[in-house]
Amino acid sequence: MITQRGFVVLFGGVLLLTSGFVFINAYLALLGVYLIVGLVVTLPFFAMTANIAGIEVDREIDKVKLFSGDFLRVRVTIKNTSRRHFDFIEVWDRYPETWILAIGENFIASRIEPGSSMTFSYILQARMRGRYFLGPTEVIMRDRLGMHYFTRVLKEKTEVLVYPTWKDVRRLEAMGKQRQLGLMFGSHRTKTIGMGTDFAGFREYVPGDPFRLIDWKSSAKRGDMVIKQFEMEKNIQVVCMVDSSGSMGNGYPENTKLEYAIRAAVLLTHMGMERRDLVGTCVFSDVVHSYVPPSTHPNHMYGVLESLAMAEPSGWSDYESAVEYVTQQTRKRSLFIWLTDLEESPAPLLNAMKTVVANGHKAMVISPFGPWFEVPVGQFGPVEKVLAEAVSEELWERRSKISRALARFGIAVVNVGPEDFLPTIIKQYEEAKRMGVAMF
Amino acid sequence: MKAVTWILRILSTATFAYMAYLVYVALDESSAWGWSAPYDFVVTVFHLLSLLAFFLSVLIMNGLTAAIFGGQLPDQMVAWLYNTLVLKYWNMQPYGVDGPISDVNLVFESFQMDLIGVMLSLWDNTFSFLFFLLAGLGVALFLQSLVRMDHKFSGGAFLSIQSILIIGAFRGLTVPNFTIFPTDIIVFLTSSPQILALVSFAYLEFSYQMIYSHSVGRPVEDREETLKTQLLALRQATRKQDAIESGEKVRTTAMSRASGATAFSFLREAIERKVFGTTEALENLDAVSDVRRLQHFVDELLLSNPNAREELTAKAAAPSESYVIGSTITGSAMRFLGVVIISFLMMSPALFVSMLSLPPGVEYSAELLELEFILIFLLPISLLFVFVSVIIGWFSQREEVEVVELTKEEKEAIKKRREELKKKKKAAVKARRARKKAKKKRKAEEGQDEWDKALEDTYKR
Repeated sequence: MITQRGFVVLFGGVLLLTSGFVFINAYLALLGVYLIVGLVVTLPFFAMTANIAGIEVDREIDKVKLFSGDFLRVRVTIKNTSRRHFDFIEVWDRYPETWILAIGENFIASRIEPGSSMTFSYILQARMRGRYFLGPTEVIMRDRLGMHYFTRVLKEKTEVLVYPTWKDVRRLEAMGKQRQLGLMFGSHRTKTIGMGTDFAGFREYVPGDPFRLIDWKSSAKRGDMVIKQFEMEKNIQVVCMVDSSGSMGNGYPENTKLEYAIRAAVLLTHMGMERRDLVGTCVFSDVVHSYVPPSTHPNHMYGVLESLAMAEPSGWSDYESAVEYVTQQTRKRSLFIWLTDLEESPAPLLNAMKTVVANGHKAMVISPFGPWFEVPVGQFGPVEKVLAEAVSEELWERRSKISRALARFGIAVVNVGPEDFLPTIIKQYEEAKRMGVAMF
Repeated sequence: MKAVTWILRILSTATFAYMAYLVYVALDESSAWGWSAPYDFVVTVFHLLSLLAFFLSVLIMNGLTAAIFGGQLPDQMVAWLYNTLVLKYWNMQPYGVDGPISDVNLVFESFQMDLIGVMLSLWDNTFSFLFFLLAGLGVALFLQSLVRMDHKFSGGAFLSIQSILIIGAFRGLTVPNFTIFPTDIIVFLTSSPQILALVSFAYLEFSYQMIYSHSVGRPVEDREETLKTQLLALRQATRKQDAIESGEKVRTTAMSRASGATAFSFLREAIERKVFGTTEALENLDAVSDVRRLQHFVDELLLSNPNAREELTAKAAAPSESYVIGSTITGSAMRFLGVVIISFLMMSPALFVSMLSLPPGVEYSAELLELEFILIFLLPISLLFVFVSVIIGWFSQREEVEVVELTKEEKEAIKKRREELKKKKKAAVKARRARKKAKKKRKAEEGQDEWDKALEDTYKR
């Protein structure tokens, strides 16, 4: 209620009053009384005017769904619908802590007259994916001399869904445009000879081949019956299994294993959609949080982005229930790409993989290796360094066992760090395309 | 708002000058403003220091002599120290000594007398010095308040000047006072202590009004300035990035700091990431692209929406000057009137005494003439204002209770979400139990590697 300024005045008043009493000086006492009365005399009037019911705050945003790293303009309008004058009003529009205020300011301080309104806007950058709320709006009303204040929080919040970053896709497209073909680039088409319209070559006539396929010209030249072969592009079906267990949240903020896995899933879906492949995404931990079945629908990408945007690292990885859920919904032969750190017990994982293979699917694991996502060893002291190396070695040993175990099912495990996570997923996808794994 | 602020600045200066003048005149009657006071104070401090230096040197040297030679410091030495440290440096002025002292007994006698004399003199000089110090502090804080527009400086200036009178009262000097508090309001209003009190209060009022008028208009001006700086920095930053990309050496973040980096940490962060994070090539690429995209976003926004710039600067939120002037005058006048009348009534209880028709024992009691009697009215009346405002505040809070009514669909969606969550949780509990069981089983068969065991189990099935 009383501001710091008010307390200074109160202190001055009490000092002068007590000085007046001590030195029997009526002037000092009078001035003390002036200050104390001056502090409280306008309080009832201020309490009467400082009625928040007359203030309405309206927040507008350009879009409610955006990509991580995108900019968002927030427009705030404050209306005084009452007949009161608000001498000094401060409005603070709160935004999520992880976001960055790029342009403008998220507060305004001014006076507002009856029936009038004021508008201000600012530009934010959304830094991390997830579901966020803009607001609440804090309104602070002060009296003219700034000795009293009332604070009210207007609880209206605006929900914003931040999709995972799109920068990897942008980068991929930009580099593709520059025709820089390297490890990460170059598309492979999965073809089957037989049906189709694309010419694939010649082969000798075998009894039973339709006559319309015989190429008479070539047959005349060779003196033997030759038929024309055609090929058709086939598409593959991929299910991206994103593990969102608690251990996937380890690593640098914004660069956790889960964040990389999500980026990889976005990239995979984008590439799949570009090439008319079916890519589905499942986010799971101890429960299946979301599953977007493989599709080529134009809005499919948004479904995937929404499910990935909500992923939070928590719980443990229940591979079995995730596989059960997905295999029930996806009957067609698919390639399961697991993005998991494999930090769970072996039995459920092996059972899950067994179920995948038994259902006629193919699978592979792209596994972020924990220590590579942690603080660089160079930043440790000698003791921590030794400990980190020991832990790392043990984990690596465990990894080797997992790889050996999964190899028996024909499932490859690729250990990745932050640098090669995305290139690996592209490479594996291209490889799958080339090999014609899980065609439909 | 600048004009209003300037008018209030002038009023604040005038009232401060008048307040300071009245305080000066009031204390001048007791000749408190001896202009040599600061010099005398400094000299006295040095006298005291020289005496202390002598005492310490004798102690130290005696200790050293005792340790080295096993005896006391020779008397001549003590006398020499006194003559050198105490008498010589100050030309024997303050102590009425004609020449050096050779007798050690006289030395200590003189030291004792001098120390008491210097202490007493310091006590006197300190107060005269304090008057100057507080006056200087008051003026300095007042000047600061004009520039920085911070209430701390205005309040500090006020308290500094009033502290002079408090110290004066403590020293028993002639300070403004009412011998008998007037019962007639006209006499009260025209009395010199009341004028000084009113001018002092007016200074505080005007300076706070000045800060208000500055702070109410300033944020909008500041916003505009900030936006200009931000946009300029944005343009420069993209140019800088081009330079970085082409391999030129760039003078790091000096630009962003010079061009208002405090208001634009985003850019600075982006550039710093670019300049210093040489190992993180991809991150650098992000920083560059972030700034570029921001520039495109802002350009597009400014082009597509003609009001965008005004909204970013919140130009329309600037209050009208005429209303601020009008409300300042009426508000201040009402406060002055309220404060003076209420204070007068509290200070002079005659009116209440006659109204309450108190018994003669109370009416003629000596306590009624005591100054502390003010408290009997001051406390309840002050608290009454606070109480009333709390009641009003409570009522206004009741008005603002927002009832958020959910639609049928929203209610259903919430219900559905809850049910789903329940189901998921149930499944999770089940799975957890199975996991625990498996763990227990594994523990029981310790010794074998868990992966080997799991593999065996898998292939057995």
